[in-house]
Amino acid sequence: MSSLTRFRTLMWLEARRSWVWGVALIGSLAFWAWGMHQVSFVDPGEQLGVRAAILLVASGIGGLVLCLMIGRIRSETRHGQYQVLLLTPPSGYLHTLARFTFVGMVAVAYYITIGGLAWWAIAQAGLQLDAGSAAQLMLVCPLYGVGLAMLPALAWTLLLMVFVSSYRVSGPGWVPGTVMVLATPFLGSWISEGIWKVSYRLPSWRLFEGLRAAINTAAWEAEVEGFQGVFSLPQEPLWIMLAISAVMLAVAGRIWQEVEG
Amino acid sequence: MLANLTNVTKRYVRTEGIRDLTLQFPAGEVVGVLGLNGSGKSTMLKILAGLLMPSEGVAAVFDGPPRRNRARVVYLGETDALWTWMTPADAEKFMAGLYEDFDVARFRELLGSLEVPLRKTKAMSKGERGRLRLAMALARSARLYLLDEPLAGIDLLSREKILTSIVKEWHTDETILLSTHEVAEAEALFDRVIFLHKGRLALDARAEQLRSEGRSVVDAFREVLS
Amino acid sequence: MTDEKHWELDMSAGPIFVQIGKNVRQMLARGDLQQGEKLPSARDLAAALGVNPNTVVHAYGELERTDVIETRRGRGTFIRVDAPVAEMRKELLRDAATGFATEVRRLGVDRGEALALLEEVWDAGQPD
Repeated sequence: MSSLTRFRTLMWLEARRSWVWGVALIGSLAFWAWGMHQVSFVDPGEQLGVRAAILLVASGIGGLVLCLMIGRIRSETRHGQYQVLLLTPPSGYLHTLARFTFVGMVAVAYYITIGGLAWWAIAQAGLQLDAGSAAQLMLVCPLYGVGLAMLPALAWTLLLMVFVSSYRVSGPGWVPGTVMVLATPFLGSWISEGIWKVSYRLPSWRLFEGLRAAINTAAWEAEVEGFQGVFSLPQEPLWIMLAISAVMLAVAGRIWQEVEG
Repeated sequence: MLANLTNVTKRYVRTEGIRDLTLQFPAGEVVGVLGLNGSGKSTMLKILAGLLMPSEGVAAVFDGPPRRNRARVVYLGETDALWTWMTPADAEKFMAGLYEDFDVARFRELLGSLEVPLRKTKAMSKGERGRLRLAMALARSARLYLLDEPLAGIDLLSREKILTSIVKEWHTDETILLSTHEVAEAEALFDRVIFLHKGRLALDARAEQLRSEGRSVVDAFREVLS
Repeated sequence: MTDEKHWELDMSAGPIFVQIGKNVRQMLARGDLQQGEKLPSARDLAAALGVNPNTVVHAYGELERTDVIETRRGRGTFIRVDAPVAEMRKELLRDAATGFATEVRRLGVDRGEALALLEEVWDAGQPD
């Protein structure tokens, strides 16, 4: 039986298990959108600021919920034993990949939608973005953010859960789990420093070239004096964080493999 | 020899699961694994299923480590572990997509003969879930089946259906290891019976041999316990 | 025929394959089975009785060896047309009678009393 068939079945399984979460999460954006709609200030700058804050909160909460979604290995516990894990013969790697892919897809959909809401808020503030900037806002930024922060967070959560859940089956998994939680802040800051040092060596991605023109035509000049209108996103952090995610996934897969065989 | 255990001991933190167990399982037998709670039946089956590693000794299935050959063995554990949202149709999709040796036609036949309702498992009784799990297990073609307490906590009618299905599905080159408390009900099914008592092998005999000595398997079981 | 009422299997009463053989003979003797009648396959009978198929195969083997049944290629297992039904009846009767006599003798009854008792019970049991 091909790995692809197995992977597809596992993806189906993940969808069946967690579709309610996915729908609820993306549906919750309707609530945030409504909230944003309710915000009404005379000053478009202030209004945009508050709306941006709302989106920030939505992003954070969404991120948390996504991590909870991926960490739902606990729901498969019975008497401390991961029975359903143990029933399935496909490799632990496939299983890890399927779970990560499904939640990752939900994450991408979520953050792209937030990008869309941001575009709306900006348009409401009188800034008509050109097509290029709009696409960058709604696609490039979310994908960059997801790759930089969300995917690593998901991989980390998955790894933690697999560590902890292997406790009952093969030895004290909570020890490495605790070590992991304690070590993460240190590792995190060390990695951030490292990333900062190597960033901007490769050509960075320039965003919002068209924004300067848009700002100049709106009633914004006063607010954003000296604003260059161009952001540059460095490549390195993205690739590094994706690589770290891959490593965490591989380790999680290995542990799951040990459990499942 | 489909499977064997050589001087296998399994120790837990505070207890010993099985002690110095040596057994061979050739093809073509229906073996009853009998004993009280905690006598080591589950441990033995889990070791053969590759879910536990022996503390000492060697376990082999199809001449290799049980872990490696897990896909070729059907293990039906005693815990009732199915996702609550699963229907028999979901179970079919799940099994067909992950197990090469799963026979969909046979599964549907078994669902029929075991009278499994087409509902989510959370809307099923324990007996109905037990029958669904058995259908999932027996619809796979393997040479070694390890059934750990498939009758436990299941209503009488379901138990009868389960036993009948096991008889019907068994082929002469397959070996079934079935552990149960319901000795009386299942005894006619066994070619061979193994009694475990406090982790050790107390008796290994052919059922008909016992009967020709005037003892039923239940009688022999009682003797072992006293 | 695979109706469980016809079958009496007692786990404490010796090997099942022997009991199955006995049951078949009894059914023949009583007329519940006819000569030439088709028997269920070993597997079907095993499933109906909840018994290991090997046991039924063993029983069928013994019945075949003693010329009670025969297997016809591709068609199944049948009671032989020349199965010694009369002999089986005789044997069953003998067993029943011996059983009665032994039991009654144990209670300290002499021949005359035994026969009188049998007549009494016989008349009482006659359908009108």
